[in-house]
Amino acid sequence: MNEVDEENQGWLAVFKIALPLCLSYIPIGLACGILLHSSGFNILLTGLASILVFSGGAQFLIASMLAIHAPLLQVLLMLLFLELRYALLSASLSPFMKKESLGFLVYFASSMNDENYAINYLKFATDKNWNGHKAVMVNHYSMLFWTVSNMIGSTIGNLIHFDVNIVNFTLTALFGYMMVMQVKNWLSIGVAALSGVLSVWLMIVLKSTMGLVIATLIASFVGFLIEHSLEGHKHAFLLRGLHLHRRKGQFTDVKETSDNHED
Amino acid sequence: MRTNGDYLLLIILAAIVAFIPRVVPLLYFTKRKIPAWFDEWMKYIPVALFTALIAKDVFVTSTYTFNVDSSAEIISTLLVFLIAARTKSMGVTVVAGLISILIFSYIL
Repeated sequence: MNEVDEENQGWLAVFKIALPLCLSYIPIGLACGILLHSSGFNILLTGLASILVFSGGAQFLIASMLAIHAPLLQVLLMLLFLELRYALLSASLSPFMKKESLGFLVYFASSMNDENYAINYLKFATDKNWNGHKAVMVNHYSMLFWTVSNMIGSTIGNLIHFDVNIVNFTLTALFGYMMVMQVKNWLSIGVAALSGVLSVWLMIVLKSTMGLVIATLIASFVGFLIEHSLEGHKHAFLLRGLHLHRRKGQFTDVKETSDNHED
Repeated sequence: MRTNGDYLLLIILAAIVAFIPRVVPLLYFTKRKIPAWFDEWMKYIPVALFTALIAKDVFVTSTYTFNVDSSAEIISTLLVFLIAARTKSMGVTVVAGLISILIFSYIL
């Protein structure tokens, strides 16, 4: 029986699990490659960024910040804020990886992102045979599709001229998708609205993308404060629809958020 | 003008910035439990950040003025929200958003 299971969980079985994600990376990777090309990256740099950074949001952000000639430090600061969410993802995967070696954890972390996390979290939570080795395979399949799509996009961008504003909307749509997946209750919609208004106002006042960082910090902090002040209120309308499993398990909220990432 | 060397530096630094948040919690929390306050604070960062980024794309021009000519983006963004909520699919959402912006920026 074990032998059959082993057979079924081979590379092909893992590939089948990763395939929907890999396919959805193709259009996004192409668009990302086109954008990176338009902001000055050649095909090798695009490929390198896809492997080393391996984050759709981050690569789009790099492209759009380079397009407006933002200084290096500001790009990196924005990236840090964007990538901080990974802390939550990798923290929530950690209970499943307690037996893995230090080297493996470092190796695994380097290829983890939002989408393959969603698959791996679900598999770890539901499939007893799932392990770190298979999880890393999912990461690598998704990285392969992502990188190849980016490099093809870079080539297409080289051959055909695209309206950058149109292709740039891919980024907006991707952020829109990620935002909607984060909405769990009325309070999170309130935080989103506050952040949106604040960021536009602060960016125009400060004439800088720092407005974005400040707006994010203020809005998320306000959300955190409101949630705390509402704690214990039975009729907290703002929190309705969110805390179905509140405090029962520390990873439940994370799971609810991230399950939706799956295609 | 930026050179390939500048871009290479940016990629390497970006890789480090992207790697640290991924690896540190994994190393730390495979040994310990996640503190509740950390979980609660982190929860609102993504929703605030993504909305701020969307708002920037739609309402702020590259010279940091208010974008008055954004009706196609507004309609398409609302459509993206709707499709994302309905399909929960990243691929479908992005492709639909692109089709929408193509159509509406042509019409409007």
